Amino acid sequence: MNIASIKSFFKSAWGKWVTFLGFFLATGLSAGLLVFWKGLSVTHLTDLVPWGLWITIDLSSIAMAGGAFFLCAGVYLVGLKQYEPVARTATFVGLAGYTMAMLALMLDIGRPDRFWHALVYWNHHSLLWEVTMCVCLYLSVLVLESMPILANLEWLRDRYPRLAAKMSHVHHYAPYLAIAGLCLSMLHQSSLGAVYGVIKARPFWYKPDVAVLFIMSAVAGGMSLTVFASMLSARLTKRAVVKDELLERVAYFIGWMMVAYLYFRFWDALSMTYTYQAGRTEGLALVTGGTLSFNFWFGEILLGAVIPIILLLNKKTRLNPALRMVALLLIAGGVIAYRWDTNLSGLLVLVSYLPGAPTVAYTSYRPSLVEWMAGLGIISYGVMLFSLGVRYLRVVDHRPVHEERVPITVESAAETVTA
Amino acid sequence: MTKASRRDVLKVTGVALAAIAGLKAVNDVTASEGAPKGGRKWAMVIDQSKCTGCGYCVMACRATNNVSPEITWNPVLEAGQVGNKDIYLPRPCMQCEKAPCVEVCMVGASYYRPDGIVMMDYDKCIGCRYCEVACPYQARSFNWKKFDGPNPAVPEWGEPEVARRPRGVPEKCAFCYQRIDRGLALGLVPGVDPEATPACVDVCPTGARVFGDLNDPNSPVSKLLNEHPHFRLREDLGTGPRVYYLPANPEEV
Repeated sequence: MNIASIKSFFKSAWGKWVTFLGFFLATGLSAGLLVFWKGLSVTHLTDLVPWGLWITIDLSSIAMAGGAFFLCAGVYLVGLKQYEPVARTATFVGLAGYTMAMLALMLDIGRPDRFWHALVYWNHHSLLWEVTMCVCLYLSVLVLESMPILANLEWLRDRYPRLAAKMSHVHHYAPYLAIAGLCLSMLHQSSLGAVYGVIKARPFWYKPDVAVLFIMSAVAGGMSLTVFASMLSARLTKRAVVKDELLERVAYFIGWMMVAYLYFRFWDALSMTYTYQAGRTEGLALVTGGTLSFNFWFGEILLGAVIPIILLLNKKTRLNPALRMVALLLIAGGVIAYRWDTNLSGLLVLVSYLPGAPTVAYTSYRPSLVEWMAGLGIISYGVMLFSLGVRYLRVVDHRPVHEERVPITVESAAETVTA
Repeated sequence: MTKASRRDVLKVTGVALAAIAGLKAVNDVTASEGAPKGGRKWAMVIDQSKCTGCGYCVMACRATNNVSPEITWNPVLEAGQVGNKDIYLPRPCMQCEKAPCVEVCMVGASYYRPDGIVMMDYDKCIGCRYCEVACPYQARSFNWKKFDGPNPAVPEWGEPEVARRPRGVPEKCAFCYQRIDRGLALGLVPGVDPEATPACVDVCPTGARVFGDLNDPNSPVSKLLNEHPHFRLREDLGTGPRVYYLPANPEEV
């Protein structure tokens, strides 16, 4: 590579994009190293608020990956074959999301050197154990599901055609992978909500429907991000080719999914307004009128649900690509806001254990600079992975298979395998 | 490979879901039973009429268990007034019979000893802090920093008997299990012989803390609980704490 080509790289839109992400990756990496060196004392986490920004990123990236299992189930189990290319994109978004979650967890646990304990030592009564097992198994499923996508890498196809053909062949097991993905995702996407829902010490969390709200919002948010990212890529690069009518149909479905989610959310909130319960009532007050109220009313309800529902269910606005993209992005943002609010609403309200009627105290949390830097680093890693996928793996490509992907010929075996 | 029909696929899904649901149900039954029954059950009784809030127990605990000055396993809290006297509430780990921290720990680093003490395996813990989130008594403190340098409570308040915990794990009171175990090995009776009794109980100048075996009707704790009205913290949560309080009596304060 000579100087001229390096110069032209930095002048190209792709080069500028990579540099932009690279900046956040580098600051994120240095923040991460600082965390490993200095420990969690560089965060603003405390014994009273032990979970913060990184847990939110962890929960959100898993939620944003929730489109994968749902679309794969739709394509391979329900038989909606025409959505296969959208499911393919969602699978790759899922791979990015789950690896992001892993990175966030590595930072967040106090002993990252013992991360493998989570797999070796089992307390199967712990919801986090269940989440860990399902996440690890599902990540394996995602890697297998991504094999045919990774086989699209030019270099791999040229250099190791036999391996690329084998990787493409994994596609034939897609229905079985879709079953495994459906089971594992239904389990852990809900259990991530139940991680909060079973904590009796935090009355605002202690209810069965957090699990339901988590999986519904994950499916809606995950599909939204997938469709949004597909539409954006198609606008930015010729390497992404979309069939807009497919994405329009998915967006329509997301609109109805959000109606269902909002319905559950409404009853969840309304039921908590009856009678006083220490901790629960204050938690609700925090969300609807306190420090989290802007997030809740604007981030989650108005911008995160009501407006996108109108934009997606109204045919005119849905057919307008710009408005549809706005709606999808708002939904994804609303789901992230929901994760942030859920985590903090329980932790910011502290119920006393002193004798007599329980009283309530408030705690506070604001992420430190290191937490933001590391967090943005993880997010830019995810965006970078997706960008590379679009550029080199044709992750967003809705053209029929025969037009796009040339069969890989394995000469020695004299057989042709269609990838 | 032959192509799977939709019916096959649904069949496999059904069987897999049923199997997972079954396994989960079985696990839930075995895991929710709480601490094993029978044998000794260590408990602490704290008499609020006698506690003067001097905080000796905090310091003795810090020295004996090698606790960092930034962490308190066993704080003494102000708990209002009875008559004109201030009332205090010392709060060790409650050693719950159904401990939320044990239930939620993903690696099983928090566990029950057969004698009911809720233990921490500091070598197993990965530091996720779910136990801290789940504990209703704020009995757990995370090691945000490494504790190095001298322990200011040593030697004035006692000698360390256990190793310091590493950075990145939460720690908590374990009823001075090391004193109980060593005492029992020497043929002593925990709660009666000071060498076999938690340091906070030994150091208390007013005798506000009493320790013993709940399963032994003649132990000091059983006798006190038989004779006096008592309460536990947040009994409504169903955690079954093994720390009992005798409420401050206006005549005795």
